[in-house]
Amino acid sequence: MADLSVELCGVKLKNPVIPASGTFGFGREFDEIYDISCLGAVATKGIALVPWSGNPVPRIAESRGVILNAVGLQNPGVEKFIAEDLPWLKQKTRVVANVVGRTFEDYEGVCARLNGLVDFLELNISCPNVKSGGMAFGIRPETIEEVTARAKGRCPDTPLIVKLSPNVESIARNAQAAERGGADALSLVNTFTGLAIDIERRRPVLANNTGGVSGAGIKPIAVRMVYEAAHAVAIPVIGMGGITCAEDAVEFLMAGAVAVQVGTQNFTDTRACPKIIAGLNAWCDAHGVARVRELTDTLQFNG
Amino acid sequence: MREVTATVLENKRIADEIYSLTFATEEEIRVRPGQFVMVGVGGFPLRRPIAVCKAEGDRVTVCYRLKGAGTRTLARDYRMGEKLSVLMPLGNGFYVKENEKKIAVVGGGVGIFPLISAIREYSKNRQVYAYMGFRNRAAVCMEYDMTRGEKLVIATDDGSAGFHGTSVQAFMQDVDMVCPDVVLACGPTPMLRALKVAMKGRVIPVYVSLEERMGCGIGACLVCVCEKTDGAHARVCKDGPVFDVRDVVL
Repeated sequence: MADLSVELCGVKLKNPVIPASGTFGFGREFDEIYDISCLGAVATKGIALVPWSGNPVPRIAESRGVILNAVGLQNPGVEKFIAEDLPWLKQKTRVVANVVGRTFEDYEGVCARLNGLVDFLELNISCPNVKSGGMAFGIRPETIEEVTARAKGRCPDTPLIVKLSPNVESIARNAQAAERGGADALSLVNTFTGLAIDIERRRPVLANNTGGVSGAGIKPIAVRMVYEAAHAVAIPVIGMGGITCAEDAVEFLMAGAVAVQVGTQNFTDTRACPKIIAGLNAWCDAHGVARVRELTDTLQFNG
Repeated sequence: MREVTATVLENKRIADEIYSLTFATEEEIRVRPGQFVMVGVGGFPLRRPIAVCKAEGDRVTVCYRLKGAGTRTLARDYRMGEKLSVLMPLGNGFYVKENEKKIAVVGGGVGIFPLISAIREYSKNRQVYAYMGFRNRAAVCMEYDMTRGEKLVIATDDGSAGFHGTSVQAFMQDVDMVCPDVVLACGPTPMLRALKVAMKGRVIPVYVSLEERMGCGIGACLVCVCEKTDGAHARVCKDGPVFDVRDVVL
């Protein structure tokens, strides 16, 4: 039995496996299938200052090994989250509250409201599916630094994770920009912007035209980007992108991640997260690894 | 709601592009009429949502149309004895009040299959009038399972079998004679829209079962929403798939 616990910004997680934002709601539905208190933490659905209704349907498409989504950050707003979901979720496991906004003030408002109430805040500046806000803040280093600094100014008591977009020129420079802005940790990658076409209709499958690509097919790109980001900054990195099994999670840890998030696989296999946790334990035991945290950043590049 | 490993008992073509899949669960799982399952297909990231047609003991039958690579793989690779990962039962299902004794079911296309589960259940102690629409004679299937009620009208678009026209047209010819207490409907959106328009002004409640592309199937991902008449979004998989026709924008 390996020690699966990890420490992130001074907060201890019982294991490094976190369901990714947008694939897990606020945890209640999955808790009907398995007890979600087994998870290291839960990253919530993106939370805005006021309720958002999201994009028209269809919001999802599938391609070989990947899916595309364009939900558009539909969410009930921060007050409803605090009143109805947070108390329940907190007694289950650590809470990573994912924060979305259209303006600097939106991000500041949600961070201020949740400061001290959750274990982590995760700034979503990387959603490709909303017209204003979202990824608009996450492309250029200057805006990443500014939005991070302004958000961090309003949540001094809660560690701030900045979730980075892969649709950028340099992931290393953007990681450094978030660190300069005062981020306590980074998470990456969010989805890649993609397009799926219904050739019979000669139209995009998604009502939003483009959507965010996620799933097993993006994993090698994500691992490379996590490696680059983790080696460009001193703050901890949470890795994600196409993780389907414990071995995939080990790759991200070796590339430099302290913890991992699992997204699309929750749809393919509702019990994906507990299976990955069990698999990590088995892998560590089989490889004589006493503590999973010892795997982080152990990749040796070929000379 | 459970995730089960089921065993395929039968997976066969029953009409043009339509397959019937029967699987056994390890133990009996109660399924209400109108509920659905999410079936995992090897190699595909998303499960396929399919309405339950029959559920008896540990045996569940779902019917699906060959639509894309996923359903083609399901039809080709999942023969008798194969294991199948299934999330079930999902959604709210139909709701019929105790005092609603006369039920009309109006279906079209693959929308007839969840209605078969309603006919099977409600014909035990109520009068069920069924109006089922198909493209043509070659598409007609499961007639035997639809004949349990008081009346069955088969409608075909080209008139090659039964009533020449849509199931909604066939039903509207009968509605004043039958005077149903409630109407349950499932089918393509244009069909449901036609039913909504035709029934406007009558006091008979109409419940429609909707279809939408889904992600998780359990209400977490907010992919499969429909628009409600109050402007809010409802989750087809969790708040539905069955809605009061007055509450949704079609």
